[in-house]
Amino acid sequence: MKDKKSLRRDIALVGVIFLIGAAVAAAVLLLSKPGGSVEIRRNGQVQTVLPLEKDTRLVLKDESGSNTLVIENGQAWIEQADCPDGLCMKTGKISRTGQSIICLPHRLSVEIVGETSPSDVDVIVK
Amino acid sequence: MKKSRLAAALMSALFLLPIASGCNENAEKHSTRELFAMDTVMSLSAYGERCEEATLAAEEEIKRLDALLSTGSSDSETGRINSGETVTMSDDTASLFSRSVEIYEMTGGAYDMSLYPLTVLWGFCGDNPAVPDEESIKKTMLLCGSDKIKSDGSTLTLSEGQGIDFGGIAKGYTSSRIMEIFKSFGCSGGIVSLGGNVQCFGTKPDGSLWRCGIADPSSPDDGMAGLLTLTDRSVITSGGYQRYFEEGNVRYHHIIDPSTGHPANSGLSSVTVISGDAALADGLSTACFVMGKEKSLALRRASDDKFELVLISDDGEITITKGLKDCFSSDREYSVAEG
Repeated sequence: MKDKKSLRRDIALVGVIFLIGAAVAAAVLLLSKPGGSVEIRRNGQVQTVLPLEKDTRLVLKDESGSNTLVIENGQAWIEQADCPDGLCMKTGKISRTGQSIICLPHRLSVEIVGETSPSDVDVIVK
Repeated sequence: MKKSRLAAALMSALFLLPIASGCNENAEKHSTRELFAMDTVMSLSAYGERCEEATLAAEEEIKRLDALLSTGSSDSETGRINSGETVTMSDDTASLFSRSVEIYEMTGGAYDMSLYPLTVLWGFCGDNPAVPDEESIKKTMLLCGSDKIKSDGSTLTLSEGQGIDFGGIAKGYTSSRIMEIFKSFGCSGGIVSLGGNVQCFGTKPDGSLWRCGIADPSSPDDGMAGLLTLTDRSVITSGGYQRYFEEGNVRYHHIIDPSTGHPANSGLSSVTVISGDAALADGLSTACFVMGKEKSLALRRASDDKFELVLISDDGEITITKGLKDCFSSDREYSVAEG
């Protein structure tokens, strides 16, 4: 009788521990999923990473020229640039993981990075 | 009894720990690299124990080919050929030359490496493109035509005013080389995008295939016209929406029709070619954009399944060839070409 009782308690204890573990795992998975970030690269090298949710205005400057990056309301775009083609400004606003703005003359890329899911595309062909 | 219960509790906790930490211990190594070369941005991604060495070697190979093939540099092999010098072709140039001739003949001249003088005339090589006068176009067209370029297989000499540019197949050729490099380092999978020209092999670490979105020509930076799920293929798109200029409210894109000397106007807004042969896919994407839908589909029928097509017309209508039935998906309506 006593053994049966303790067996039930053991099962309950293992169950409780499992539930706590599952809750911790869920919390870790949820909390580790960052809101998107804006990664700024020059010549392929990461210069800085900024949170997408914090409004910012930043002039990205080097010897090739300058591009003004704006992050506002969860979107990022190049507002002003002195490159000859201005394609980085024409790209418009980006907000989803994997989207990017490229300024070829200034060898600059701005990309939204963050958690990806299996349903995301790996690459866009254009 | 209490001790064994405590042990059970600890065992359970230990068992659950990897779940809580996301099980990252066994994740496969992944290396990504971005670089600017061949007048575009390139991204490389490879999985495997030696992926870092693999992407580094790929970057070196891209830089080597860029220096060899650049039309903008008078020191490059292509630059020397275009200056009129008799050049003993390197293996890469000889291979690009013979592939270019092959695709020229296959497409009835719609892909033509010798259009370089026309590209220069339109100003697409510089910062100030403009519409040339009709007489200059006609005169320059007389210099073009790959059949007018003679080679004995090892050397190449151009006549006055002629010029070649392997840009129409160079990125496909380069992505094939990168796939070979990734495989030589034992990578389990990899994908590259050389300015939107994509090639992939193997699988992702979870065993799934690569997902390649095709840009919507009416909104290329934001929208997607369709999705291809595949591997061991190159996927290369040509469209008039990427490089163009406007004059008098008319848009002039950079893909010249060799038969008119003007930007191609075949009723297609984008052509995507899917093939295991990336140089072929690269050359054909340009050629099919020039040829239009019916001629492209006829070429596909005559080519023994060497390539598949996704054609998007100026009014947004999507047509795919039958080999893509199981790997293409789209939110929009599309038709599968017969034959």
